[in-house]
Amino acid sequence: MNPALIAGIVAGAVMSGTSLLYATLGEIVGERAGIVNLGLEGIMLIGAASGFAVTALSGSPYLGVAAAAIAGAAANLIFAYVVVSRRANQLAAGLSLMFFGIGLSALIGRPFVGALISGLPRLAVPGLAPGGIGARLLSYDSLVYLALPTALLTWWLIFRTRWGLSLRTVGESPAAAFAAGVRPELVQYQALTFAGVLGGIAGAHMSVALTLTWAEGMTAGRGFIAIALVIFAKWNPLWAIAGALLFGGAEGLQLQLQAAGADVSPFIMNMTPYLLTLLVLILWGWRRQSAAPAALGRTFVGVE
Amino acid sequence: MRRSIIAAACAAILAVFAAGPVAAQDKPSLTVGAIYVGSVNDYGYNRAMKDGLEEMKRNIPGLKLIEAENVPESAESERVMEGMIQQGAKLIFATSFGHQQFAFNLAKAHPDVYFEHAGGWMQAPNFGNFFGATQAAWYPMGVAAGKMTKSNTLGFVVGVPIGYAIGNVNAFEMGARSVNPAAQTRVVVTGGWSDKAKEAAAANALIDQGADIVTMHVDSPATIIQAAASRNAYAIGFQSIEAAQLAPKFWITGLGFTWGPFMTETAKSVMAGTFKPAMVRQGLGQGMMAVAPFGEAVPADVRTLVTAAADRVGQGFNPFTGPVTDNTGVVRIPAGQAWGGEQMGNFDWYVEGVIGKAK
Repeated sequence: MNPALIAGIVAGAVMSGTSLLYATLGEIVGERAGIVNLGLEGIMLIGAASGFAVTALSGSPYLGVAAAAIAGAAANLIFAYVVVSRRANQLAAGLSLMFFGIGLSALIGRPFVGALISGLPRLAVPGLAPGGIGARLLSYDSLVYLALPTALLTWWLIFRTRWGLSLRTVGESPAAAFAAGVRPELVQYQALTFAGVLGGIAGAHMSVALTLTWAEGMTAGRGFIAIALVIFAKWNPLWAIAGALLFGGAEGLQLQLQAAGADVSPFIMNMTPYLLTLLVLILWGWRRQSAAPAALGRTFVGVE
Repeated sequence: MRRSIIAAACAAILAVFAAGPVAAQDKPSLTVGAIYVGSVNDYGYNRAMKDGLEEMKRNIPGLKLIEAENVPESAESERVMEGMIQQGAKLIFATSFGHQQFAFNLAKAHPDVYFEHAGGWMQAPNFGNFFGATQAAWYPMGVAAGKMTKSNTLGFVVGVPIGYAIGNVNAFEMGARSVNPAAQTRVVVTGGWSDKAKEAAAANALIDQGADIVTMHVDSPATIIQAAASRNAYAIGFQSIEAAQLAPKFWITGLGFTWGPFMTETAKSVMAGTFKPAMVRQGLGQGMMAVAPFGEAVPADVRTLVTAAADRVGQGFNPFTGPVTDNTGVVRIPAGQAWGGEQMGNFDWYVEGVIGKAK
C-alpha cells in the first residue's frame, strides 16, 4: 500500500460518499416519519439534472445546488400528497416517483447534455503543496465540508428537538402522536420536504461537483444503495456517516486497486460495492426489527 | 431497462416532431433516417455519428435527415425506425451495436429501404455495415502520450473490457513504448460504457498512481477529460475529434471517427440505385478514422512524430506483427505472424508494459 493509494482511497470515499450521505440522511428523516420512499433515485436524478441545468444557465454552481434542493423538495411534495393525503401505497407510489424522476430529469437535462460548466470550486486547506498527498486529502468542494455538519444537525433534529420527538412518535405510532396533539400528516409533509431537499442536493453533488456532466440515469442505482444504507445506519444519522464512507470507499477502493495493478479480475472488482451491500443486509437483517420505526410503510388512516 | 423505456418514449416523440409537415413542392431528393443510442451532444460516439450525417446532408442537395436520439438497443428501436420509413426514409443508419437485429428485421420487411449498421456483421441485399478500424489507429495516440509524459505513467479508463477495447489499449501502449521504452499504461475498468461517477473516480485513481496523461474508451470522454484537467493531468480523447474544447489547456490530441465520406457515398448509391451491401472497416488514412487537432501544449517535434506514425498506420503498418509478448511474458503473436481484421476482437491479454488484468 503506497501513500498515494491510501490518500486516493480516502479522498475517493469522501467524494463518492458525500452524495450517498445526503441522500441517506433525507431518507432517514422520511422513514422516521413512517414513510418509505423508494423514489429516492428519481429525486436524486431530478436534483442532478436541475442542478446542472441551472448551473449551466446562470454560471453559478451555488444557484444550481439551490435549484436542485428546491426541485427535490417539490418532487417529494408530490410524493407526500400521494402517500399522505391520498393514502396511496408507499411502495407503489415510490416506484412511480422513481420512474417520474427518470423521465423528468431526462427532459430537464436534455438541452444541457454537453454543456460545459465550472462546478463547485475545490476549497483546499491552505499551506498544502499542490499535487501532494495533503492536497489530495484536504481539497474538497463546499458540499463535502457541509455533509458532516448536516449529519450532526439531522441527528440533533431527530433526537434533541421537540419536532424530532413528534417525528419519531409519528413513525412509531401515528395514532399515539395524534392523541398527543400532533398532526401526523403535517409532520410527514415536513419530513418529506426535508428529505427532498437533501435528495436533490445529493444528486446535484454528482452532476455539479463530482462529474461536471449531466447524463441520463447518471445516479446509476445510488439512490437504492442509500435506501439500503438507512437500514445499515439503523435510522441513525451518525451511523449514516460511517455507512456512506464505507460504501463510497468500496467503489473508490476497487478502482484504486485496479489503477495500482492489483492482481484481481476487473469483473470481480466491479462487483464489490454490491457484494458489500448484500453482505451488510444479511448481517444487519436481524437488527432491523428493533431499530425500524414501528409504523414504517403503514398508511395512517386516522383514529376511529 | 426502466431508463430505456422512457428514453424510447422520448425518442419516438422526437422522431415524430423532427419529421414535421413537409410541403409538397420541396420533395426531398432522399430521406435518410438515423437513430442514436445517446445524445448527440456527448462529445463522443454519438457526436461523431451526427457529424458524419451532417456532412452527408451538406454534400447532397435536398437531402432530408430524420433523427432520433436516446433510442435504446431494444425492440423500441424497431418501432422508431419503422416510423421513419413511414415518413419516407429510404436509407437508415442504425448507429449502435445493439440496433443490429432490429434494423435487420426491418430490412427483411422493407426490401426497398436500405440499411447501414455501425459495427455489426449481418448482410442482406439491402443491409450493409461499417465501422472504423480503431486498434492500429491507437498507435499514434500512444506515440503522443509516450513523448508527452513526464512520469512515464499513462492512464487508460476502459468501460467494458471487450477484445476490441483491449486491442485499443495494447496498440496505445505499443505506440508509447516505440518512442519511450519506459512508458507504462495503467488500466482501470469501470464496468459500463457510461457511468460518469465511476469514470471520474477512475481518472482520479489513475492520477493518484502517477499517470500524468489519461485516455479512455467509453461512450463520452467529457467526464474523464474534465476530471483529469481538474488535477492538471493531460488527456487524449476518443470517439469524436471535437472533444478538445472540454479542456483546451490539457488536450494533447485524440482519435475520432469520420464517417461523413462513407455516408455521403452510401446515400449517393441509394439515389443512383447502385447500393451494394458490404462489411466496411476503415482505419486511419482510409476515411473513417482521423487524428484530432493537437492541443497548445504539444511541441512541433511531437506533432511531427505523431503525424508520421499516423501516416505509417494509414499506409498499412500493423503494430500487431509478431513477436508480441503479453504482460506476463508469454509470446502471444509469434514472429512471422500478425493479427488483423476480426482477430481484433480476440484480445483477452494486455501487451508488455500494460499494468492491468484483462479477465
